[in-house]
Amino acid sequence: MQCPVCQTPMIAIELDEVETDYCPECQGIWLDAGELEILLEDADQTRRLLDSFRPAETTETARLCPICLKSMQKVYVEPSNKAVLIDRCLKSHGLWFDRGELMQVLQQGAFDEQGKVAKLLREMYPPEE
Amino acid sequence: MWEQIRVNKRNSVILLGLMGAVLCGLGFLLGFAFGGGPEAGWVGIFVAACIWVVMMMVSLFSGDQILLASSRAKPVTEEVHPQLFNVVEEMTIAANLPKMPAVYIINDPAPNAFATGRNPQHASVAVTAGLLARLNRDELQGVIAHEISHILHRDILYVTVAGVMLGAVVLLSQVFFRGMFYSAWGGRRYSSRSRENGGGAQVLIMILAIFAAILAPLFAQILYFSLSRKREYLADAGAVRLTRYPEGLAGALEKIAGTELSMESANKVTAPMYIANPFRGRKAVNLFSTHPPIEERIRILRAMSHGAGFKDYNQAFEQVTHRVGVIPPSAVGSEDSIGIRQGALPTAEEAAVKHPQHQIGDIIRKVNGFRFISCSCGLRLKLPPDYNGKTIRCPRCKRTLNI
Repeated sequence: MQCPVCQTPMIAIELDEVETDYCPECQGIWLDAGELEILLEDADQTRRLLDSFRPAETTETARLCPICLKSMQKVYVEPSNKAVLIDRCLKSHGLWFDRGELMQVLQQGAFDEQGKVAKLLREMYPPEE
Repeated sequence: MWEQIRVNKRNSVILLGLMGAVLCGLGFLLGFAFGGGPEAGWVGIFVAACIWVVMMMVSLFSGDQILLASSRAKPVTEEVHPQLFNVVEEMTIAANLPKMPAVYIINDPAPNAFATGRNPQHASVAVTAGLLARLNRDELQGVIAHEISHILHRDILYVTVAGVMLGAVVLLSQVFFRGMFYSAWGGRRYSSRSRENGGGAQVLIMILAIFAAILAPLFAQILYFSLSRKREYLADAGAVRLTRYPEGLAGALEKIAGTELSMESANKVTAPMYIANPFRGRKAVNLFSTHPPIEERIRILRAMSHGAGFKDYNQAFEQVTHRVGVIPPSAVGSEDSIGIRQGALPTAEEAAVKHPQHQIGDIIRKVNGFRFISCSCGLRLKLPPDYNGKTIRCPRCKRTLNI
């Protein structure tokens, strides 16, 4: 699978039963359909997050879904104070998060009360000094 | 039971005959329209018949391989997924098949399954990775029993051959339209000849041919799809009989219906083979529906409270749909009553494995030549075969790892 940004092969990384596809070049994350649910460990929360997407009008160039190679839709993630712009495959193959975006979404959306997922992500992607 | 298989075999032969007739009729009209006379029409029939025979031969001897390859199914060994093999083995014995079908896994996150082959001696069962990831053992058993029932009822040959035939009819009408397109450019010779023969009949035949070329693929498709819908109910009934546990298949269908994923590796011709329609977002049931509505199938299965026999399925079917039962009377009459068994509790192993998705993903990655590296910080890295670097930096602890 190619990174939608760098077009280089992505690698899969797994820690404590949580798996994501990761681009070693740009440090973006691709979440396959269903992986978000594993990450949040809750179907209702996942539904809430997925329902909160709002199509965005933006001039950013569309990226291609690494699975079906069709253009992905830019969506704002809500509820949050500062909406995060992510890419969603229209055929529900998955979601693309640029570096750090996944963490922003989870922290701002108050989806993770215990901060367990965020902690895991912070370990996986510590902020570079 | 045997009566039902015989009816199925007869229906298949009638269907194939009809499709052959459609193909030959199309050939005649096309030959007539292009060649400008009845004698050319006979050549058209001959060509169409040749195509029919070749297609039949191809689909009989390698149709299953073509369909498996076009679905991107990969053969697996027992080590890759022991539970799947265990369930297929179990259902092979329950159905008294002469040989265990070959087992394939399709690398697709949408849950679905199909069976193909020539006869019970040469049969294959294919399931998607998404199906394995979502279903528990009882549900997987229900799906496999449904597929084994297709093998037992001789549906697999029909679907394989009819699918290839449908392809032939579509191909021929495509050839016609392209032929028309090109003869319109360089067709002076034909048009002058047709004027000599008296244009009226020629024009009439041409119009007929256009209609035939449009309608024949539709007609063939309706035939193919209408028969495949009834077979789904019969395979559901067969699956309940084999497993004695309607809730297994009902639960599996519910999970399949609950996903919004369309299958990437399915197409119009292979769609009727699958346990549930592989395309999402087409709700209405019409002449072109390949499958009965999945909610109705679930309701019928859930309405079976007295037993797991064909008679019980028929009763549940009539109760839910208010239509005449789908099971042939001979199969209902001669049957001993079959009880429903209790569902199994999840095994310790199932409870322990939290996310089988990753296991399945790992299996498919191994099949596809991925390399697995474990970093000492606990992170597992899975590198695709096209990753060229000699080293990689662990994204968690920033160690440099040698590949």
